[in-house]
Amino acid sequence: MEHLLETIGRNMFAIFGVMTLSGAVLMVASRSAVHSVLAFLFAMLSIAGCFLALEAEFLGMAQILVYAGGIVVLFLFVVMLVEMSKRKEKEVFQLQSRYAILAVLVGAAAFLAVFRKVIFGAASPEALVLRPELAQGLNVAHQNAQAVSRSLFADYLLPFEILSVILLVALVGAVVLAKTERV
Amino acid sequence: MTAETTLMHAAATAASQPAGYLWLIPFLPFFGFLVNGLSGKKLKNTAIVDTIALGSVGVAFLLTLYYFVQLLGLPAEGRSLHQSLWTWFDVGGARVLGGLSTYKIAWAYKFDALSASMALLVTGAGFLIHLFSTGYMAEERNDGRYYRFMAYMNLFVFSMLNLVLGANIMMMFLGWEGVGLCSYLLIGFYFDKEFAAVAGKKAFVTNRIGDFGFMIGFFLIFQVFGSLDYDTLMGSVRDISALKTITLYGLTHAPVWWFNLIGCCLFVGAAGKSAQIPLYVWLPDAMAGPTPVSALIHAATMVTSGLYMITRLNFIYVQAPVALAVVLFVGALTALVAASMGLAQYDIKKVLAYSTVSQLGFMFMGLGAGAFAAGMFHVFTHAAFKACLFLGSGSVIMACHHEQDMRNMGGLRKYMPWTFLSMGLATLAIAGIFPFSGFFSKDEILWKVFEGWYHHGAYDGPTLNLVAWLMGMLGAFMTAFYMARLMIMTFYGEYRGAGHDPHGLTVPSEAHHAAADHGDAHGHDHAHAAAPAAHGHSEHGHGPAEVPWNMWVPVFIFALFAVVLGFLNLPHSLESLGKVFGSDHFSKWLEPLLYQVAAPEHGHHAAPAIEYALMVWATLVWAPGAILLAVWIYGMDPSWSKARAFVTRFPVLFRWVNAKYYVDEFYEWALIAPIKRFSAQLWSFDTWVVDGMVNGAARVTLIWATLMNWVDEYIIDGTVDLVEFMVQETSGVFHSLQSGRVQHYAFVMFLGFLVFAFWKFI
Amino acid sequence: MVSLNAVLLVSFSLFSIGIIGVLIRRNALVILMCVELMLNAANLNFIAFARHSGSASGQAFALLVMGFAAAEVAVGLALVVALYRKRDTVQVDDINLLKG
Repeated sequence: MEHLLETIGRNMFAIFGVMTLSGAVLMVASRSAVHSVLAFLFAMLSIAGCFLALEAEFLGMAQILVYAGGIVVLFLFVVMLVEMSKRKEKEVFQLQSRYAILAVLVGAAAFLAVFRKVIFGAASPEALVLRPELAQGLNVAHQNAQAVSRSLFADYLLPFEILSVILLVALVGAVVLAKTERV
Repeated sequence: MTAETTLMHAAATAASQPAGYLWLIPFLPFFGFLVNGLSGKKLKNTAIVDTIALGSVGVAFLLTLYYFVQLLGLPAEGRSLHQSLWTWFDVGGARVLGGLSTYKIAWAYKFDALSASMALLVTGAGFLIHLFSTGYMAEERNDGRYYRFMAYMNLFVFSMLNLVLGANIMMMFLGWEGVGLCSYLLIGFYFDKEFAAVAGKKAFVTNRIGDFGFMIGFFLIFQVFGSLDYDTLMGSVRDISALKTITLYGLTHAPVWWFNLIGCCLFVGAAGKSAQIPLYVWLPDAMAGPTPVSALIHAATMVTSGLYMITRLNFIYVQAPVALAVVLFVGALTALVAASMGLAQYDIKKVLAYSTVSQLGFMFMGLGAGAFAAGMFHVFTHAAFKACLFLGSGSVIMACHHEQDMRNMGGLRKYMPWTFLSMGLATLAIAGIFPFSGFFSKDEILWKVFEGWYHHGAYDGPTLNLVAWLMGMLGAFMTAFYMARLMIMTFYGEYRGAGHDPHGLTVPSEAHHAAADHGDAHGHDHAHAAAPAAHGHSEHGHGPAEVPWNMWVPVFIFALFAVVLGFLNLPHSLESLGKVFGSDHFSKWLEPLLYQVAAPEHGHHAAPAIEYALMVWATLVWAPGAILLAVWIYGMDPSWSKARAFVTRFPVLFRWVNAKYYVDEFYEWALIAPIKRFSAQLWSFDTWVVDGMVNGAARVTLIWATLMNWVDEYIIDGTVDLVEFMVQETSGVFHSLQSGRVQHYAFVMFLGFLVFAFWKFI
Repeated sequence: MVSLNAVLLVSFSLFSIGIIGVLIRRNALVILMCVELMLNAANLNFIAFARHSGSASGQAFALLVMGFAAAEVAVGLALVVALYRKRDTVQVDDINLLKG
C-alpha cells in the first residue's frame, strides 16, 4: 500500500497528464456542448494537477481559480444562453474532419519522426530536477510564489502592465460587442 | 545715358518739396464718391448727399489753395511739391532705348505751377458747379437718381485731379480714362432716353479713337526715354535730342522725326479728348447730359485735358515742328469751322457746345504757335466765361420749363436780371471786348500766331501762321456774332414761350423729348412743384422767373472771374496797364515748366506798332462789328426778317451750316456704314464658310464616330469579352476554394504551417 | 521524478487535440475551448522549461498567458453572443459571408 502510494506520488505527472488528455479528447468528441464544457473543466483541473506535479504550486492554484472558477463558468453561462435555441445542431463535426485529423496525425508523426532522437535519445530520461547551479540561492520549490512575483514585478513589469491594459481593452470590447443594440 | 538720366531725375526730385497731404486733394472727392455711391441709395435725405459731395470738393479746394499759397512762397525754379504714395507697378526689364529699363511707375502726385493752376480750376469750378447742381438737379432728388449724379460728379473730380496732379504719364492716363468714363456716365445720365444713351456711346467710342493715339504716343515716349516721370523726361530730353539717330523697331531716324511722330500720336489723343477736328463730333451730342455736366466736364475741365497734356509735354512739342504745325492748323480749322456751325443753331446748348469746340481750337492754335502760356491762359479764362454761360443757359432752360430752343425764349432780361447780367459779362468776355478776360487771352493767342509770320517785321515766317491767323480772326468774328445772337434771342425782345408770338417765330416745343431732364408729363409737373424755382402750379402758360440763389450765385461768381481773370496775364505791350496790375504773371508762373530750346529771351524789346494796331482793331472794330451786325439782324427787327431773307436767298448755305456741314452724316456714310457693311460681310462669311467648315467637320466626325463605334463594339468589346470569359472560366476553379468557412481557412493555415515546419525535411 | 520528455509529450498531444478540435468542430463555443486547450499546452511547456532551467521566468510568462487567455475568452464569448443575437446560431458553418 505504501508502495502503491509512493508509486502514485512518483508518477503523479503521468497520471494527471493522462487525465488531461482524456478530458481533452472527451471535450472534442462529445456531441453536447454542456458535456464539452464539463470535459473542459476536467481537463483544466487535471492540468492544474500537472502544474502541481511540476512544483509550480502558485500557478496550479491560479489555474484552478482562473479556469475552474472563471472561464468555465463563463462558458457554462454562454452555453446555457445559446442552447436555448430551437435550432438543433445538424452535424457536430465538419466535413473536413477526417482530413484534418489525418493531417494533424501526419504532422505529429512527422514531428516525432524528426525529433525522435532528441526526445527518446540518450539524454531524454533526464529528470526535471533543480540544478543547484541554476537555482541561484532561490528555493523555487519552497518559495514558489515569491519567486514568481519577483520575476513578474521585477523582470517583466512592462509585459505585466501591457497585459493589464489588454485586459481593460478586452473588458470594454466585450461589453461593446455583447450588449444589446439599442435602436 | 541711363545713369545720367537717373542723376537728373534725382536732382529734379530733390528740387521739389515733399508734401504730406497732397494725396487728400484727389482722394477726398474719391471718398465722397465712395460714400455717396455706396450708401446714397439708402439715404432718404439728399441733404446728406449734398453735404458729402460739396464738402469733399470744397475741402479739396481749400487744401489746394493751401498748397498753392505754399507754392507761391517758393522760389520760381523750385516751385514743385510732390508725394509718392506707393509703387503702382514695376515695369520690369523692359527693352527701351539705351538698354533695359528698371523703371517703376509710382502712384505719385506732383504739385507744380501748371498742375496747381489746373487743380485750383478743377476744385474751384467743381465746387461752384456742384453748388449749382444742388439747385438744377432738384427734380432728381425725389426719384432716387440724385445721389448717382453727385457720386459721378465726385468721381469725375477725382479723375480730373488725378489727371492734372499725377507725376507721370501713367497717372495722367488713369485720370484720362477716368474722366472719359465719367463723361460717358454723365452724358448718359438719363440713359432711359435713347438719345442720351446714344450720345454717351458716341462720346465713348470717339474718345477710344483718341485714346488709341494717346497710348501709342506714350508707349513711344517710354521706348525713347525709358521713363514716364515728367521730371525725368524733361531732364533727359536735351540729351536725347542731341543724339544723331534713334533706332527703334528697325527704323532709324533723327530724334526730330521721332518727336514729330510722338507729338502727332499724342495730338490724336488730345483731339479726341478736347474735341478737335476730326474727332469733335461727340461734344455737341454730349449736351444730352444735364447742364452742370456740360459746364463742368464739357466746357471747363475735361475738354481742356488735351491742352494740359500738350503743355505738360511741351518739351517734346518744342522739338517737333511738324507736330506743332499740325496742332496749329487743326486748331485754326476747328476754331473757324466750329464757330461757323454755331451761327445757325437754335438750341442754346448746341450754340455753346460749338462755341466750346471753337474756343478749344483757339487754345490749340496758341499751343501750335509755341505760346503754351497763352494757350493755357485761355483755358482758364475760357473756363470762367464758358462755365458761366453754360450755367446761365442751364438757368434759362430751367426757367423756361426745359425749353432749349432759343426761338421759344426771348425777353428774359426782365425776369432773370442776375442771370442776364452774368451772361452778358461772359459774352463780352468771350467776344474779346477790351477789359474783359477773353480779350487778353484770345488776342495774345492771335498775336502769337501772327507774330510767327510777322517775325519781328521780317514777314518771312511760315505761311501757315498767316493762314491760321486769318482763320482765327474770322472765327473770332463769328464768335462775337453768334454770342450776341444768343443773347439777343434769349434775353431781348418779348417772351415767346407763353403762346405769345406776334411774329410766328416759335417752333413746336421739343422740350419733352429734347430736354433730358424730364421723366414724363406727370413727372414734369410733379418735378416743377418740387423744384425751388417753382411757380405755383406750373404750366407752360406761366412766365419764367429768376432761379434760386444757389444757382445764380455760382453763375455770377464765374462772371466776375470772367471779367477780372485777364489781368493775371497782361501782354508785354500793355505796360502802362501793367504798372498797376503787373504784367504777364501767368506766363512767368508757367515759365519754369516750359522747355527752352535756346536761352530764354528776357531782353525787353519795344512792342511793334502793328501789335497795338491789331489790338485796337480787334476790340474796337472787329468784335463790336460782329455784335452790331447781330443786333442789326436780330435785335432791331423783332421779326428777324433779314435773317429769314438771308435764308431764302442762300437756302443751300443755310442748310449746310445748320446741318453742321453734314459731318456726322459723312462719318456715318464714310466710316460707320462701311464698318457695318464689313461686319455684315464678316458675319455672312462666318455663317457660310466658318460655320460650314464647322458643320462639315461635324459631319466627318459623325461618320468617323459611327465607324469607330462599330470597331469598338465588335473588336474592342469582343477582346474584352474574351478576356472576361477566360477569367470567369479560370476563376471557377479557384472560387470553390473561397468557401467562406473559417475552418477551411484554418485548416489551410495549418497545412501551411506544417509545410513551413518541415520544409527542411521534405 | 518527472522527465522533461514526458511533459513535452503531454503538451504536444494536448496541442494536437486542440488543433483537431478547432478544425473539426462546428460549434463556436467548443472551438473556443479548444483554443484554450492549445494555450494550456503552451503553458505546460513554459512551466516544464522553467523547472528545467531552474528559473521563475517561465512561470511568470505562464501567468501572463493565463491573463491573455482570459481576455481572449472574454472577447471570444462576446463575439459568440453577438453572433447569436444577430444570426440566431453559433454554428460557424452558417457564417460564410466571405464565400466566393
